[in-house]
Amino acid sequence: MSDFRGPAGAAQIQGNLTDRQKTMLNAAALLCVLGILALFNQYGSEYHVRILNNMAIFVTLAVSYNLVNGVCGILHLGPNAFVAIGAYTSALLTMSPAEKQLNFIINQLIWPLSVVQAPFALSLVAAGVMAALFAFMISFPVFRVRGDYLAIVTFGFGEVVRVLCNAAQSLTNGPLGLKNLEPYTNLWWSWGIAILTIVSITKLINSSYGRAMKAIREDETAARAMGIDPFRPLLLAFLISAFFSGIAGGLLVHLITTVSPTLFIFTLTFNLLIIIVVGGLGSTTGAVVGAMLFAWGGEALRIVENPVDLGIIVIPGIPGMRMVVFSLILMLVIIFAGHGIFGRREFNWEQLARFLSRGGKRVGSP
Amino acid sequence: MSFFEMRHVIVQFGGLCAVCDFSIALGAGELVGLIGPNGAGKTTVFNTITGFITPTEGDIFWQGQNIAAFPAHRVTASGIARTFQNIRLFGDMSVLENVMVSFHFSMESNFLLAMTGSSKHRGLEAEIREKSRRHLDELGLGHLASEKASTLAYGQQRRLEIARALATGPKLLLLDEPAAGMNPIETIELAALIRLIRDQYGVTVFLIEHDMKFVMGLCERIKVLDYGKSIAEGTPAEIQKDIKVIKAYLGSGYHAGG
Amino acid sequence: MTTTIFLQQLVNGISVGSLYALVAIGYTMVYGILRLINFAHGDLLMVAAYAAIFGIGIFSNPWIAFPLAILITGCIGVLLDRAAYRPLRNAPRISLLISAIGASFLLENLFLVIFGGVPRPFPRPDFFARVIEIGGLRIQVLTIYAPLITILLVLGLLYIVYWTKAGKAMRAASRDFETTRLMGINLDRIIALTFLLGSCLAAAGGIMWAMKYPQVNPFMGIFPGIKAFIAAVLGGIGNITGAVIGGFLLGLGEIMIVALMPELAQYRDALAFVILILVLLFRPTGIMGETTVE
Repeated sequence: MSDFRGPAGAAQIQGNLTDRQKTMLNAAALLCVLGILALFNQYGSEYHVRILNNMAIFVTLAVSYNLVNGVCGILHLGPNAFVAIGAYTSALLTMSPAEKQLNFIINQLIWPLSVVQAPFALSLVAAGVMAALFAFMISFPVFRVRGDYLAIVTFGFGEVVRVLCNAAQSLTNGPLGLKNLEPYTNLWWSWGIAILTIVSITKLINSSYGRAMKAIREDETAARAMGIDPFRPLLLAFLISAFFSGIAGGLLVHLITTVSPTLFIFTLTFNLLIIIVVGGLGSTTGAVVGAMLFAWGGEALRIVENPVDLGIIVIPGIPGMRMVVFSLILMLVIIFAGHGIFGRREFNWEQLARFLSRGGKRVGSP
Repeated sequence: MSFFEMRHVIVQFGGLCAVCDFSIALGAGELVGLIGPNGAGKTTVFNTITGFITPTEGDIFWQGQNIAAFPAHRVTASGIARTFQNIRLFGDMSVLENVMVSFHFSMESNFLLAMTGSSKHRGLEAEIREKSRRHLDELGLGHLASEKASTLAYGQQRRLEIARALATGPKLLLLDEPAAGMNPIETIELAALIRLIRDQYGVTVFLIEHDMKFVMGLCERIKVLDYGKSIAEGTPAEIQKDIKVIKAYLGSGYHAGG
Repeated sequence: MTTTIFLQQLVNGISVGSLYALVAIGYTMVYGILRLINFAHGDLLMVAAYAAIFGIGIFSNPWIAFPLAILITGCIGVLLDRAAYRPLRNAPRISLLISAIGASFLLENLFLVIFGGVPRPFPRPDFFARVIEIGGLRIQVLTIYAPLITILLVLGLLYIVYWTKAGKAMRAASRDFETTRLMGINLDRIIALTFLLGSCLAAAGGIMWAMKYPQVNPFMGIFPGIKAFIAAVLGGIGNITGAVIGGFLLGLGEIMIVALMPELAQYRDALAFVILILVLLFRPTGIMGETTVE
């Protein structure tokens, strides 16, 4: 996935893999993933498939969020706005005009949205483009400031979009939201997008553009002195992040088949923040692993919020418990293990090979 | 017109004059020093040249244009590079990556090529990697290429900063106290390195330094700054005899015992 | 719009603004010293409201219950710093901010778990609930008391900050953290004091907020908190007087804009952010902020 080389010399201990070998390994891993997906698609329960879909969507969101927060090192708190815009765009495009009429009872949906209908794939592209367009529009005020101010401005834009979702009724149907979307999102779509996101963003991070972003994170003044206009790499990261987040929004609503403004409250951003902090800010691998843990853990923790019927007695569910656990995890990680699981390291085959061979030796020689 | 020229540059911070009516002309290939007591405004002069501060008044002529109002990244793109008094490396990136960053602004690619991993982009990346390695080798840092920049020894970090600045392809290089914190041997090596840069890369060097022995031995011409004003200019021999310079240094409690 | 309604809204705006001001001070003081947006600060409003409810339940006397609630909230503010921020004094700023966001969610959801999500009515003491009539204007006395109490508290705070030794240390720390540390001042204690004062003021604001909008729930602190933060930025963050002015301006502006253009009512919460973004665009240091030199 990446050709990051660990501390000097470490790579020389074991024979290095050639690029060709790495490509082969990547292809094999991809085939493996596809195989697993095919198995779940065929034999998995609805519950498992839903978790897997959730995982993929969170992977997409976390990897694109990490590009801005982890790689560029700025604290952007408005990805929920990107997801919301993508979600509404995609939903309004796939719904049939008849269905739209059924949904919009108080205010009529504005023309031409009321009559157009587009295939799912096209709606996802539109979702990404609209989210990126929004990111572009807010980029000027956002990147005029840095640090905490940037955090609060992006947070503000997230809130503004959420308020608009509720208020712009002839576009979003307000608090009622949109219902009865076609359940287009399946494992192929969700994981296809997730893999596309991982691959393309990883390539970007490992390119000159990614280096410019990291340079800004490390020392913006020095980056400027090296001829980099900070606005451009930051804007690039912001737009790409918005694009994929928008697509993820489209996938999300076609998974749960409804859109409602409450989906896009700050809690969504908070969850993404936990994912990338626990995974390791700046590590795509960390974002992927964090997202998968989160999607799985979120389901696993659902039991604490739902009432449990033990036959004789019923233990009432405790609403809020999940978020208590999540916020505790976030704080504990940031205070005691600031680098998360992966720090800024990335997965690579050579390290895996070394790790396995070392483990093998240990097993082999008792 | 000179190779590089600052004319009547004034920098004010809220009524306070940090640089007052500063003028200097540099010829191509010169090695010039800027000295002065602490707080004289030397770094402000550098910050003004490199676009981190826009002068309140005055002009800076470079390559046939007035760059006084240029932002920092454009100044670098126009061929002026710098190092910093307090080393500013990209600490968490490798030594090689630190140098590779300098090629970003001149790279002729776009992000879509990068994200799709096109062969054109990969070729450019390989080229940058190759050039960066060469720079590191020439500055004697080749063996450290894959180390994290923040783990380097102090002298090596200073060297890396110079390597990184050189990689932007400058015609004028500004060094802000390059010998600060170095031991005598490192300082001698540094002087040799700076001469090499001037001779081999054909780069004009303008440097700030407190180490008088270093400056007097290295620079061909010296400009002295005190309280934001230029008080003397000349060869090292002339400067050492200049009564105003001696006063400025003694006045601020500095003993030029070089 | 009639003059009566206009005056009614004017008084209302000043009253809401005074509450923003009280909460804004805490943001501004903490930011001044730690350069941290204390995301959890708004939640202290909620903590104070719950504490006051239980205080009245136990003592059935607001004059005991309210000061006690304020003190408890102040201590929770100090605890917050001790647990969530102090371990991160030398960490990157981004970590501190993330910890603050975590603390905010923790407080909200902890209260949700303990007290449930059903809003509780706030027992409004008669002293504040009376309605008086001035020249045809029917006003709840709380609306008038709120700005007065705010001004009294602010004067008290300004006394502490400008005329006591601890206050001087506080100002020194906000000017230059490192040097103050080198001068042998125990910064942790100064920071704890800052949190105590800020949290107590937020608690006073929270109790009055709960009397004004007597629906207490675990998430009630979010919006007043955000608005107060915006007020602090508006006034130039780090500046106490600025925060007070910003609070009054924001409260007044918000209410008056909605009063003059009722069709904007549903955008009210977004409005504050639009104001914030505009301020940051055109005057990033706020109204009272100094133009700093790099």
